[in-house]
Amino acid sequence: MDCEKFDRIVLDLLYDELDELTRAAAKRHVEQCARCRAIVAGLRATREVGVLPLDAPPATLAARILEAERQATAVLPLRKRFGRAVSILASYTMRPQLAMAALLLLMIGSSLLLVKTRPGARESVQVTERGVPESEREPVAIVPLPRTDGEDSHGAPLEEKRARRERGSAASEEAREPEAEDRQPSASAGAARDTIEPSASPDGAEDAGPGAYEAAMAAYRTGRYAEATRSFDAIAAAGGSEAGSAALYAARSLRNSAGCGAAAARFDDVGSRYRGSAIGDEATWLAADCYRTLGQLERARRNYQLLLANGSYTDRARRALDTLDGRSDDATAARASERPRPAAAAAAAAKPAPAGPAAPAPTGSAD
Amino acid sequence: MAGDRGDASDEMLMVRYQRGDRDAFGELVRRYETPIYNFVLRQLRHRALTEDVTQDVFLRLVQNAADFKHEARFSTWLYTIARNQCIDQVRKLSHRRHPSLDAPPPGREGAGGAPLVESVADPHPRASVERSAAASEVRDRIVAAIEALPDDQREVFLLREIANLPFKDIAEITGVGENTIKSRMRYALDRLKDALSEFDEYARALR
Repeated sequence: MDCEKFDRIVLDLLYDELDELTRAAAKRHVEQCARCRAIVAGLRATREVGVLPLDAPPATLAARILEAERQATAVLPLRKRFGRAVSILASYTMRPQLAMAALLLLMIGSSLLLVKTRPGARESVQVTERGVPESEREPVAIVPLPRTDGEDSHGAPLEEKRARRERGSAASEEAREPEAEDRQPSASAGAARDTIEPSASPDGAEDAGPGAYEAAMAAYRTGRYAEATRSFDAIAAAGGSEAGSAALYAARSLRNSAGCGAAAARFDDVGSRYRGSAIGDEATWLAADCYRTLGQLERARRNYQLLLANGSYTDRARRALDTLDGRSDDATAARASERPRPAAAAAAAAKPAPAGPAAPAPTGSAD
Repeated sequence: MAGDRGDASDEMLMVRYQRGDRDAFGELVRRYETPIYNFVLRQLRHRALTEDVTQDVFLRLVQNAADFKHEARFSTWLYTIARNQCIDQVRKLSHRRHPSLDAPPPGREGAGGAPLVESVADPHPRASVERSAAASEVRDRIVAAIEALPDDQREVFLLREIANLPFKDIAEITGVGENTIKSRMRYALDRLKDALSEFDEYARALR
């Protein structure tokens, strides 16, 4: 320690405010330095001699102070009282338990507010309103059934449905047909029918109502085949679940009234249109019978062959084909022996067609 | 109980008083009545006002008892109040142009009535020593020398010698740096040494 540093700490040394190490260093310096030793000696002598004498306060001062204190605490100003009450209340309310409870209430309240304002229900309603018509429109597009020849001049929706049906597989048609037949006419189906009906009725004469099919069937059963044909045609043209059956019975009525020559093509048309369904199979079978009756054996054979794949018609179709082939062989044999027995062959050929029985024979005989 | 109160620290007594123990306050008054009275007396140099100001210091303690923190040093807190009270009082006296601050100090009334500065700077102190008893003469010289100090030096001297506060606390109370406080104390001691250098007691103390 040097004199300069000693001058900075000399008062701390004098009033004993130095730490042990600094005090030891200061003492060592004082022992070696006469100047600093004189300084600290003069300061110590001044403190020793110049102790400030304390005057005794008046004897009544303490009593006066205590009395002033008593009066000050006895009558607290209103502001001080309020402050003290607030202090006591604050010390109670600032307890950790109350703080935690307040925080919990705040969290619950804010979460309730968020849950209440979440627009969940309204969104679901909007989705329902937007989605229902879309889902109901699909079955409506499937319901309408094909029409007769007049459909070619119909509107675009019917054309699209027809094209879709024709593109569809046999299995899908089979699955769709009973569904359409079993379904009760719903409001949407009725609406769909209404949209199709004006263009589906070529002449727009008869209304295919619920009782129309029974009336047509009654006419068919009572032998009024011309009336039944018209009625069934109208029902088939109107479409709906009974259109296929009506088309089939229209062809039957035509066969019964005008013969296979007029009905064969109708049967063939119904069979091709409802291929794979019971109506189509029956129409195909009846078409084959008509072609066989008419002697158009290739057409008959083709229709029989179409029915080979059908479980319920397989046996019948095979027997019919066998019979047809045998008859064909017989006919070939007969044709080979036609020369010696032309009358018999002519009779066999003319048998199913009584309308013109004698025409070839006289011609042949004339030859 | 009284013994317990007498052994308790100032801070503990103050905490007890905050809790309503008025006897603790009485003990604090007993401990600090005299030093506070003398601190105010030497600061104001007006004996008539000293008693009232001392009472006001303790009354302010009562009013601000709730503000006292247990970690604080009680003596530092109390002398802060006393210093502020003295400053307020000096300001009031200066507005009134009270004659006592310029007149001979009350403690000097028995010392011949000469102005304080003149008595400290008396070029012939030996004549005074020869006129009165040595003890009384030294006492008056000490008081005169202290009261003749500049206000900032006298304040530091009183806080150090009467209140026995460390330099660090004095710096905190006055808001001045600790080195400045020590410098002021060094000047005060030098002036006091000059005032006492002609007395035999001082010469013996040097030996």
